Amino acid sequence: MKTLLLLALALPGVLFMASGLAWLAGLKAPEPIVSRLTKASYLFSFLVFSVEAVRLLFLHDPSLDLRLGDWFATAHAHFGVELLFDRLSVPLLWLASLLVGIVAAFSGRYMHKDPGFHRYFNLLNLFGFGAFLVAAAGSVELLMAGWELVGITSVLLIGFFQERPEPVGNALRVYGYYRVADIFLVASVMLGHLWFGGIEFAHLHLPDAAAGGSWKVTATALLLIMAACGKSSVGPFFGWLPRAMEGPTPSSAIFYGAVSVHLGAFLLLRAEPLLRASGTAAAALVLLGGASALLGTLLHRSANDAKTMLAHATQTQLGLIFVEIGMGWTGVAAFHITGHAIVRTAQFLRAPSLLHEHLHVHAAAGGELAPTGEHLEALVPRRAQWWLYRVAMGAGFYEAVVSRALVAPLARLTDGLALLEPAPAKPRSTGPLDASRTEETQR
Amino acid sequence: MVMSEGGTMGGAVEGGDASRLRHALQHAAHRLPIQGPIGVFVHHNTLHAFQHIPFEQAVLEASKAFRSEPFLTEAGYRAAKAKGRILDVDLDVVLAREPDATVLPGRLTRRQLLAAWLKAGCRTVPAETIPWHLEEGDWLERFRDDLSEAARKGLAGTSPRALWECCLARVPRPVGGDAVMPRRPADVVAGLDEAVHPTLIRLAGAFLDQGVAYWPMPLRCDGFFRACVQLLSRPASIAPPGLEGLKDAFQGLGEARVDAEAAVLQCLGELGVPPGEWDGFVEAELLALPGWAGMMSLLESKPGLAPHIIVPARLVDFLAVRLVLLVTATRGALGGASVWRSRRIPAEAEGHLERVASVFDAAQVVGLGAAALAALDDRLLGQFVEAIQAAGPLERRRILHLAYERRHERLILVPLRQHLAAGRLSRPQGRPMAQMVFCIDDREESIRRAIEEIEPSIETHGAAGFFGCAIDYAGIDDAGPVSLCPVVVTPQHAVREGPAEGHADTHERRRALRRLWSRWVRSGNVASQTLVRGLFSTIVLGFFSLFPLVLRVLSPLGYARMVGWLNARFLPEPRTELRFMRHDESAREATRGLFLGFSVSEMADRVGNVLGPMGMKSGHARLVVVLGHGSTSLNNPHESAYDCGACGGRQGGPNARLFATLANHPQVRAELRSRGLVIPDDTWFLGGYHDTCSDDIDLFDLDRMPATHGPDLAALRAVLDQARQRNAHERVRRFEVAPPSLAPEEALRHVMQRSEHLGEPRPEYGHSTNAVAFVGRRDTTRGLFLDRRAFLVSYDLEADPTARFLGNILGAVIPVCGGISLEYYFSTVDNEVLGCGTKLPHNVIGLVGVMNGMQGDLRTGLTWQMVEIHEPVRILFVVENAPEVVLRVIHANPELKEWLENRWIRLACVDAARAAISVYRGDGVFEPLEGDEVALPRVRCSADHYRGQRGHLPLARIEAGSATHAACCDRH
Repeated sequence: MKTLLLLALALPGVLFMASGLAWLAGLKAPEPIVSRLTKASYLFSFLVFSVEAVRLLFLHDPSLDLRLGDWFATAHAHFGVELLFDRLSVPLLWLASLLVGIVAAFSGRYMHKDPGFHRYFNLLNLFGFGAFLVAAAGSVELLMAGWELVGITSVLLIGFFQERPEPVGNALRVYGYYRVADIFLVASVMLGHLWFGGIEFAHLHLPDAAAGGSWKVTATALLLIMAACGKSSVGPFFGWLPRAMEGPTPSSAIFYGAVSVHLGAFLLLRAEPLLRASGTAAAALVLLGGASALLGTLLHRSANDAKTMLAHATQTQLGLIFVEIGMGWTGVAAFHITGHAIVRTAQFLRAPSLLHEHLHVHAAAGGELAPTGEHLEALVPRRAQWWLYRVAMGAGFYEAVVSRALVAPLARLTDGLALLEPAPAKPRSTGPLDASRTEETQR
Repeated sequence: MVMSEGGTMGGAVEGGDASRLRHALQHAAHRLPIQGPIGVFVHHNTLHAFQHIPFEQAVLEASKAFRSEPFLTEAGYRAAKAKGRILDVDLDVVLAREPDATVLPGRLTRRQLLAAWLKAGCRTVPAETIPWHLEEGDWLERFRDDLSEAARKGLAGTSPRALWECCLARVPRPVGGDAVMPRRPADVVAGLDEAVHPTLIRLAGAFLDQGVAYWPMPLRCDGFFRACVQLLSRPASIAPPGLEGLKDAFQGLGEARVDAEAAVLQCLGELGVPPGEWDGFVEAELLALPGWAGMMSLLESKPGLAPHIIVPARLVDFLAVRLVLLVTATRGALGGASVWRSRRIPAEAEGHLERVASVFDAAQVVGLGAAALAALDDRLLGQFVEAIQAAGPLERRRILHLAYERRHERLILVPLRQHLAAGRLSRPQGRPMAQMVFCIDDREESIRRAIEEIEPSIETHGAAGFFGCAIDYAGIDDAGPVSLCPVVVTPQHAVREGPAEGHADTHERRRALRRLWSRWVRSGNVASQTLVRGLFSTIVLGFFSLFPLVLRVLSPLGYARMVGWLNARFLPEPRTELRFMRHDESAREATRGLFLGFSVSEMADRVGNVLGPMGMKSGHARLVVVLGHGSTSLNNPHESAYDCGACGGRQGGPNARLFATLANHPQVRAELRSRGLVIPDDTWFLGGYHDTCSDDIDLFDLDRMPATHGPDLAALRAVLDQARQRNAHERVRRFEVAPPSLAPEEALRHVMQRSEHLGEPRPEYGHSTNAVAFVGRRDTTRGLFLDRRAFLVSYDLEADPTARFLGNILGAVIPVCGGISLEYYFSTVDNEVLGCGTKLPHNVIGLVGVMNGMQGDLRTGLTWQMVEIHEPVRILFVVENAPEVVLRVIHANPELKEWLENRWIRLACVDAARAAISVYRGDGVFEPLEGDEVALPRVRCSADHYRGQRGHLPLARIEAGSATHAACCDRH
């Protein structure tokens, strides 16, 4: 069973490596093979994880803690490669393999004949591997390795349409958010080693509250909370999720509906002992989550395009999930994550049907749909409504603040530095896509 | 739901300025896209604003105005030439029609230069790489490999290096152009559009929203400008990046109570634009976001196009908000709003090296050696260089495009002439087994051919898909009435579908259940996305979403069948009938004054106007089936683009059903008999619907058919089932996902799955590859494999001595087919600017359109997935009538005359009896078709011709073999 689990875990990564090496050698597998291999690998992973889930949840077998050795070890610290298959990770593995598999099946047709077909599937497989790694990681270091893989693939898929400036610009922006959030994760790794001898989820040694180490626990918990907020677009990192809608529809589904955004919540579930031990951190989590949920629902109410509506709805529910974790209702949170991921994947995959479905529902209702949003009008005075709408139009002013306070000074700095570089050659327009458009070649 | 429009406030604008502003807005609105809300997609000429100019000139002007491509890239044409799609002789013929000029007396004319350069191919490299090619590449080592004999002879004795040195020394340096004044601030200031557009798009999207947002934009009924003024002047708000001072600007406007026109004038003043430049400035500013501006303008002029909520859209409001944002942004970026006018756009000069390189290339191609070049005096050299400049990329692409179209013309007309010369294919004598009337759509060409191959005694005909019945129609499941007719026609008659006698209860039950279902679905959708309801619904219902999700993605057909079973079980459909008869001559509908149904003479008119021109005046078969068409697909905002254009972008089933009902009516038949159209008593008309995506054929009102026709129907059904399979088999060759060796039944399953597949961006290819429209008798083209690329309109010239029917037909068909052809042409040639790019990042907004990703302009035109296999040529109308008659008919209609004389369509006339074809060359001149260089292969069945081929196929003549061969086809 151990080997099967390891194989199931590693399979997407193996596919990525194989495809990448083949690409470097100048070979490219035909589309049907890529598509079928990917589907088969996720099916295999799904079956293995289903068996394991049944074992753990219904047969109450013990968790599996696999120590595969150390990447490196010094006198004071070691980077251990430790996988933990317990009642928290296996359901997430099961969910991830299911949803990534469904999206892979969907994408096989959807991405057909797109010049970036192979690039897309490579990134999807690398993402799958990263997500599995995050779920099965036994320590924060290994989790972080998976975390980074998820982050970079998500950014590269946002910027998938690399000929246009908006996707690339938004991808860079999201990458910025991810990197800042990851600083907190790195800090937590370092301080975890310093203070607790490493954050290994199976055996976490927290100091007693009486011993006066409680501020260390709070600090570490807050760092992990910030990292989780970055991945899940909650709290201080609220603004990036709508920008991620630039990628192809199935990538929006798998990342921002299904798996990637929930990894932040998963990190918090893993860090539950720390949260339990630190009331401050839990309270902070509840506040951040609650504020994000409220802002998310306000923004959702005013959104009028398919993908932004879903993005804000996702943010709302993620805020609520964070509140649940903060309140200690981890079982509810786990159910919420699972149900939410499934619903959002389905909704994202069907996002282009908004037009058709709306017309259908409208016709079935006899041509008159009940108006929505009216209880707000009844409760809140008119000028306050207008102000709230202005807030919603400005996306909570969140992005405005970040752009003006953080991004603009940075841009001025880099523009200044750019003066030191030679002037770039004026780019020729690449011209329209004509009838002889070919697949991407490696540069 | 109609909202009232707010009146203007504040002081009136002065007369002269107001009219100048109005003129500028009208001028700009004319250039904006006119694609309506995307639920109903109508194909039209993307460059409709330039239709009054000849085609070649118009595309060049449009390319300047819209920054779009006029033709395919030169690389695209070269690839086509390499595959033999453009031949050298085509270039010669096209160049012979171009004006000539002497470049080098006795040695070179303009035509010769272009001919040599286009046949060999112009070697262009990016300007920065020229030094590399000289130093590291082989430009100076050897001449080009692909030179003609004559050129090589001319270059004998010269080395490439010497030629290059000579060119470098003698070609004059290009004179630097003057710096140009900017048309709009964003031309000279970076980041203005990035500052203005996010806010503007969000506001415009919220304003035009047709019911998507949970919380509709407040103050919408006051108009866009007033709503934005109120919302953007709220205190305690932070301005977006680049728009500092936004709140103050709008607060100022709100306090001064200016209206939109006054605000525009104020901003124009602040931006320093003098009144003489208002036209150009307003056009340039609105064309920065053409999709949104176009939608605002369209909903202002045609508010009824909005699907659910009529919003008081006004282009001047949009312009006002845009200009206020622009002034704020410009002030923020430059300190003052009119500073931009002192900046200049540096002229884009061609570098010296670039010019030398093109002269070097041209010299090689025409065989001008170093000595000869050095011997030229300055004047001649100047002429030579000028001629090379004139033969620049755009000019070369234009010639290549004309050659591309000329080859297409030959590939169609030469085999057609041979087909005519070989005579009509024999058909069994006597009464046809059945007659089928399809829409003229090019997709129906293959199923008509399949039916005729399976059962040669069946006649097929083509008529515009609304079958003469322009109606305002509401079905039992529809929310409200829609117009089922071409968009230029306004229907005068209302037809309704209602439950048949005894089925009213079923109908009521079904309606109530559907209402319940819609409430449940809507609240479920809304619930899953809001705060508290979302919490419960995702926790509780989340798992239940799993099974539909998995089933839909992994087994689309299975899911569709399950849903179909559920519908049949829980929502049974009542039998319905059409309410179309008007007994009281003056009965009109209350709200819009439409006639409630038709009177008998009106009915006879409609039936006669369709059957007459087709030549179906007597001797009808026992069964006449009339099929409307449409398309169903999932996850496709452009679904309506696949529907029937003749029905205004909707499905034509009700028209076919109505036509059949009218034609079966005894009083109508009596009236027609008195007019000379005799339908036998034992003929029965059936209406039906052909889904061009899943290849389903549904027949309506079978229960009303007399029992005597049961066996006829059964036989016809067998033929249709087989034809559907063959049609699917032929279609499937284009889909690369489908393996090449599918059997016909598997092919049918494949296309059905495509129409139910959630992740299929190419459910069908629609009008892709359309290239020809044939207006004439079916007997003339029967047996010709036209590869689903031809619109086929049935027209019998012998039944039309005065050419009156021809006028009606061409008056409908030329705008519709020409519009389709040009929409596909422009979306192929420049998919990013004139089309809507790839479908993958599309995001439906407000039910009015799609934009890319998170936020962007509203995209118009066709997606890449719809045009990827299209050959961009102008449609070739082939009309079976005398050239003088056709020309007279077309010239009698000013709109058609514009289409033809400005060369937006091509025209040829056919005389089937003498197997003669004349091609129109403009100015009233027809040229007889000569030559035989294109063969017409003879095949036994369509499958033999297309088997194993994925690309475009030439014409072929199908001489159906024996019955055993016909049976063997289905085993492939």
